[in-house]
Amino acid sequence: MRTTYTALTGFLLILATGAWAQGAAPTDPQIAAIVVTANQVDVDAGKLAKAKAHSSEVRKFAQLMITDHTAVNKSASALVHKLHVTPESNATSDSLKKGGDENLAALKKLHGHAFDVAYIDHEVTYHQAVLDALDTTLIPNAQNAELKALMVKVRPAFVSHLEHAKTLQNELNKSAK
Amino acid sequence: MRPARACCAILAGAWVIGGSVSAVSATLASKVYLVSIENMQFIPQKLTVRVGDRVQWVNKDLVPHTATADVKAFDSRSIAPNASWNFVAHHAGEYGYACTFHPTMKGTLTVVP
Repeated sequence: MRTTYTALTGFLLILATGAWAQGAAPTDPQIAAIVVTANQVDVDAGKLAKAKAHSSEVRKFAQLMITDHTAVNKSASALVHKLHVTPESNATSDSLKKGGDENLAALKKLHGHAFDVAYIDHEVTYHQAVLDALDTTLIPNAQNAELKALMVKVRPAFVSHLEHAKTLQNELNKSAK
Repeated sequence: MRPARACCAILAGAWVIGGSVSAVSATLASKVYLVSIENMQFIPQKLTVRVGDRVQWVNKDLVPHTATADVKAFDSRSIAPNASWNFVAHHAGEYGYACTFHPTMKGTLTVVP
C-alpha cells in the first residue's frame, strides 16, 4: 500500500520544488491539463473501488468520487472549450497520470479489508495533495479569471472529500483492531 | 402595485419569485424561501418557515447534492448542478436534513404553524 504514496509524493515534490519553483510557473493550458488529469485519476480509482471494495460505505464513497470528479471535469472541459484553451501535458500532469496508474496496479493486487484500507489511505493522501497544489500553485498561477474561479469553486468539494475519506479511514482502522 | 403582504416579500434569507398579479394573489398567504447550496454548504443553514410556505433548494455547486430529511419528511434525491428542488411544508416540526452524498453538509428546516 505504501508504495502508492510514491507517485503522489513525486507529484507534490514537482509542485513544490520542480519546474515551477525554477521560475517557470505553469501556464493556463498546463493548469488545465493538471486539473483534468487529477480528476480523471480519481474517477478511475473510484471505478475500481466501486467494483472491488468490501465495505458498502467504501463503495458508496467510490461512487461519490466517480460522480463528483466527473462533474468537475465536465465543467472544466466546458470552460477550456469556451476559452479556446487546449490542455497541455506537462511534468505534473504526467506524474499524476503515472501515479494513478501505479495506484491502480497496486490496488488490483489487494482484496477485502486490505483493499479498502489501501484505497481510502490513497484517497486521503491524494485529496490533501491536490488541495495543497490548488493553494500553492494552481490557483495562484492561473491567469484567466474564469479558470481561477473554477478552481476556487471546486476547492470546497475536495475539502469535503478529504474529510469524508478521513472519517472512513478512522472507521476502517477501528474495525481492523 | 405589489401588496405589502404578498408572497414575494423579501425577508432575510428569503427569496422572491416574480410573477403576475394573479399568481401572487393565488398564493397570498404563503412565501417562497431560497436555500442556496454552494461551497458544499446549505445557506442559510437554519431556516424557519410557516406551514404552507415553499422552500426551494438551488444547487450552485459543480457537483450534485441532495436535501434529505433525517426523518424522511422530505427527500429531494439528486439535485444536479444549476438545478433546483421545491418542497412545500405541510406539517409543523423541526427537520434536520443533510446531503446524502456529502455527510458534512447539514441543515435544519423548522416549520411553525
